[in-house]
Parts: sequence; C-alpha cells; structure tokens
Amino acid sequence: MAVGSSAAPSPVRGKRRLWDRLYPTLSIAIPFLVIAVFTLYPVLYAVRTSFYQYILTKPKVHPFVGLRNYQEVISNYYFTNSLTNTAIYTVAVVISVLIFGMVVALLLNTKVLFSHPLRIVILLPWAIPAVVAGLMWKWMLNSDFGLFNGFLYSLGLIRDYIPFFANPTLAKLSLIVAYVWKEGPLVAIFFVAGLQLIPNELYEAARIDGGGGWRLFRYVTLPLLRPIILIVMVYETMTAILVFDLIYVLTGGGPGDATAMISWFAYAEIFKFLNLGHGLALAIIIALITLALIILYLRLLHTEDTVS
Amino acid sequence: MDFVTWDYGADKIADNIKNFQAANSDITINHKGYGWLDYPETLVGLFASGGEPELLYSSDHWLQQWAAAGWLEPLDEHCPNIATYNQELAPYAQQGMTYDGKTYGLSYYADTMDFAYNEALLKQAGFDKAPETWEDVYTMSKALKEQGINEYPIIMAWSQKEGAFPEAFISMVYSQHEGNNALFDADLNPVFNQPGSAASEVLDWLKKAYDEGLLDPASLTTAEIDQVNSMKAGQHTFTIFPQYNMAEVNKEGTGDYAGQFKIALMPGKSHNTVGYVRFYAMTPKAVAEGKVEAVCKFMDYFGGKTNGNYEVVKRWAVENGLGFAQLPLFDDPDVVEAFGKWGDVPTIKQQAELARAKEGLTPWFGTWDVYARAEIHKAILGEQTTQQALDNMAAKWEELKAQG
Repeated sequence: MAVGSSAAPSPVRGKRRLWDRLYPTLSIAIPFLVIAVFTLYPVLYAVRTSFYQYILTKPKVHPFVGLRNYQEVISNYYFTNSLTNTAIYTVAVVISVLIFGMVVALLLNTKVLFSHPLRIVILLPWAIPAVVAGLMWKWMLNSDFGLFNGFLYSLGLIRDYIPFFANPTLAKLSLIVAYVWKEGPLVAIFFVAGLQLIPNELYEAARIDGGGGWRLFRYVTLPLLRPIILIVMVYETMTAILVFDLIYVLTGGGPGDATAMISWFAYAEIFKFLNLGHGLALAIIIALITLALIILYLRLLHTEDTVS
Repeated sequence: MDFVTWDYGADKIADNIKNFQAANSDITINHKGYGWLDYPETLVGLFASGGEPELLYSSDHWLQQWAAAGWLEPLDEHCPNIATYNQELAPYAQQGMTYDGKTYGLSYYADTMDFAYNEALLKQAGFDKAPETWEDVYTMSKALKEQGINEYPIIMAWSQKEGAFPEAFISMVYSQHEGNNALFDADLNPVFNQPGSAASEVLDWLKKAYDEGLLDPASLTTAEIDQVNSMKAGQHTFTIFPQYNMAEVNKEGTGDYAGQFKIALMPGKSHNTVGYVRFYAMTPKAVAEGKVEAVCKFMDYFGGKTNGNYEVVKRWAVENGLGFAQLPLFDDPDVVEAFGKWGDVPTIKQQAELARAKEGLTPWFGTWDVYARAEIHKAILGEQTTQQALDNMAAKWEELKAQG
C-alpha cells in the first residue's frame, strides 16, 4: 500500500517538473514579447507603411505604391544634399571627437594635479541633454549678445559680431563644435580606461630601446588602443548620422539647406511636408546605411582581433 | 472641453476662460498651450494620433490643409450667429477663414504685415520722410550704414521656423505689384517666376541688400522676438513685422527709442500688404461628443459679441495692441485711444484697407511655403540665382497642385 502510493508522482514534484520545462520558454518568451511589442512591431509597421502613400492630410487615402516612396525620396535634390551634408558632418565630427578625446585622455592619464576629480567633471557635457547643450551653444554663439562673440570682440579679434548660424559654412562648423563639446568627454573617458590597461612595462621596455614621446605614442599607445578606437568610431558614426536634436535647436536645417542632414530630411518629410510614407522610406534608408557601416566596422574589429 | 492655443498671452487667455466659465458654470475649459514655432507640426501630430482637442487656435495659413483633411468642422453649419459676425469682418479675414464656401473660424485677431521704421535714427541720417519705394529704403539704408548709425539698417525675422517669414516676403511682393495675381493666376498657376515679376524684383533687391551689408545676415536665423528686441535696442532702422509689435516697441520705458517707431505704408508701387487672420476653430470631435452648443457659446463669448460688444477681441486690441478683423472696432473710442498711444491710426487704417489675403491659400499652401523658405534663403545667400529659386518654388507648387 505504502509502496503503491510512493510509486505515483507527487503533485508537488509534477508541478516542479512542469515549471522546470516551462521556465526556459517563459524566460525567453517574456523579453521576446517586450522586444516584439516595442521594437519589432514598430519597425515592421514602418517598413510596411513605407510601401504605401501615407500623406497625413489625406487620412482616408493610403494606396499601395510599392517602391515609389523610395524612388521619390532618392531622386529628390534634398536627398543628395542631405546625404552629402551628413557624410561631411560625420567624417568631420568622428575625426574631431577622436582627436579631442585622445588629447584629453592623454592629459588626464598623466599624474597632474586634480586629474582624478577632473575625470568626473569632464563628463558633465556628456551628461547634459542634447537639447540643453544645443540651447547653451545657441546662446553662446548668438549674433547679438553671444558670449563667444563678446569674447572675440573684447580681444579685438572682430569688428562686428558674427552671425554664426546665418552663414552656411559657419553654421556647419558651429554644429561640429557643439557636437564635439558634447560627445568628446565620453570618448576621453573611454580612452582613459584604455590607457590604464596598457602595462607600464611596455613603455619601460620601449624607453630602454630608445623610444620617446611621439614614438611611444605611435608604436605602443596607438596600437593597443585600436580596439577601443574602433568601438568609439562605431558609436560616434551612428550618433553622428542620426544627429537631430542639435540641428533642431541650433540651426533648424538652415540657412537654406546648409545643415539639413539626412535625419533632418526625414523629420521634415513627416512633420513639415506631412508625408509619412516618404519620411518612413527615408528612415529605412538611414537604418540600412547605418547597418552597413556597423557591419563594416565590426568586420574591421574582427580582423583586428584575429591579428591580435 | 479641451482648448489648444499657441503660447501668446497665456495669462490673458486663462483670465478670459475664467470669466467665461463664471458666466457658463456648466462648461469647463481645459487650456493647453504649445510653442508658436512648432504649432502646426504639434497639431498635425495630435490630429493624426486622434488626440486633438475640441477647440483650438488656427490660422489662414493651415485652414485649407486641415479642413481638407477633415480635421476641422465648419462653424456656420452649427453656430447660428456666425453668419451675423461675418457681415462685419474685413474681407481678407473672412477669406482666410473660408474653405469650400464654408466658414471654419471666428477671429480673435487679424493683422497686417507692416513696414516699421525708427524715426529718430532716420532723422539722424538726414531723412525727414519715410521711404515710399524699395529704392528709397535702399538709399536710406546706404546712408545709415555709411554714417555709422547702423551696421545693418534692415532686419527681418526670417528664421525658417518663423511663421511670419512668408507673410513678410509676400507683403514685399504685393507692394511691388499692382492689382491681384502677384503670385498665381486665376487658375492657380504660378506667375511669380516670370521674368520681371514683382517676386523677382523683390528677391533681387533682397540679394543686393544682403550683399551690400544692408540686410542683417542674422535675419535668416532671427525669430520675431529677437527682431523686436533688436529694433528696440536701435540696432536697425527698418523692418517688416505684424502690426501688433508696434505696441511693444513703443511701450513706454522699454528702451531708448520707445515712441520713435512709426509705421509707413509698405514701400513699393501699390503699397499693398498681406492681411492675415488667426481664429478659433472647432474639430469634429466636438460634434461627435455632443458639445456643439457649448462650442457655440464659447465662440460667441471669445470671438463674437457679449452684450452687443466684441468684448474679448476688444480686450486683446486695447490691452495688447492686437489687430482685429471686426470692422466696427475701428470706430470704438477705447480702441482708437489705445492704438493712438503707439501708432498713427489713419495710417493703420489705410494699410488695413490695402491688405489682401495670401494668394494661393490651398490645402498644399502650408507645405509649399515651408519649401519656399529654404529656396528664398539660398537665393539671398547666393547659393543659387534668384530665378533658379523662383523656378524651383514654381516647380514645387506644380508638383503639390498635381497631388491635390
């Protein structure tokens, strides 16, 4: 009797086995559902909508147009213009932010006074929201009462205040400066972390072999920082291509279309020209460009790892 | 009911709402304000997502687009007093609130784009008379610059986000053109890009003024508030802005030049200008939710008559210097007295009589105008010729017109 009853599975054990079987599935299903609802569905919906004519002021008419939205945006003058602007801007800010970050990191890595608290303080610009940073620069570069103009004027370097945002070249430069100010500190901290991982023995050995300043940097520091440089390049390239908030606050894409980047073009198509189909087609194109660049960088990173 | 406005005079709006609710205890108004520079985009977002209010501010600029999309409800189909109010409106304002033969709004404010100048600085440069043509403005500006009175004698608020940018540009075109069809013919075909057109002359003039350092380069990034402040500071002598700014620049104690700012008829061949209207509008949501009666009471109070008077419109005019479309108010002693403090009432009235609604008010006007702003910038900056800019604007118009 007792034996018979012990042979039957206890309800507690049965529940436990069921839970053990379900647990892995549930663990995957819940995050999958969250990602599906908040990422996959919007992306798929955007892809689907990009194949329809979707003009916001014609809410009841959405005919299927295939690839026409893509064809129309790509053949548009503003696409070529904004793509060129984005390419110039991206190359300029990635190079500038790498140089800025490296110089600051090398300074912070020396044993100067207050270098430890400085590492924290320097992160402040990065911690400030982009819109606030944009507003700060807008005030600083204002053509009537800007701090920067006042500074240049007091030094006697300019006779009249410079309208930075009204000149196509200066407007582009202003955007680059504001971006580097905002993003540079984070890059510097990445590089500081990388510099601290380089064993001192390598520098000592190099010095014994007669290496000094630039050669140490060229043959020891730079090669060992290359993986971090690549990671920073991936991140900064993506951020630069997708930049929107700084443009929105600082230049509004102007003057003319001098600072209209590809992300601004997508915004303008949706919110100014009210063409959701065009805007989403552009968003998909931007995503594909970014994806292609990430793959390229990752391949470079992979090659780097293999060589290492 | 939800009531959405742009962020002008929020305190006064709140006070007017309080007074309205005191007189209509069964109606509650939830007011929400959005930034003027992003107002159309914000509202389109609300309409597209189904989050629109029952009541809102709108403008002749967007009416056609919003009404064609079915986002606004014709007022004259629901509120019986609208037809009576229409009889007392300036024609440009009535035209600006009409789509497909129906009235979609009741005006709280209507104004003209005016040419304003600093009389003290002009006298300092040796001129006793206001400019009458654009050539006069050019000559006087040269003198002001050469004498070191202003680095840049002319300022415009032509930031691409500034809603009054196209209105100021079109005012210049109207003033340089005799009669109608300055921009489009009767079939809405563009004529502004024809060689020798008023638009072509104006754009060439602007380019010359920019190249010779008469037009402040910062104009291309300046919004209305900065424009008004720099005029008050005496940095510039000439500008074009909505007339209500005259009350602000001439307000006692706000600057060294308060009281010195005057309005001249828009320089040019005809002195015509743009008259525009901003108004209260109702959405279909109010009808669907059975709030039409409350909306009509709201309209009567805010844009119509209470005790036989346009009380709220008059309050905006007297206390804030806002223009109006309700013609009887021009004879109201309180309004005449208030306007006389900052302006020359006969000139204001004369300019109002020369005002015309914007040509080409169609469902695609708002989209075209956004495109046109960048093209005008590029022409002024010399990134393309003025003719190229006008041709591009015409091509965009044709494209949008074909889409309907």
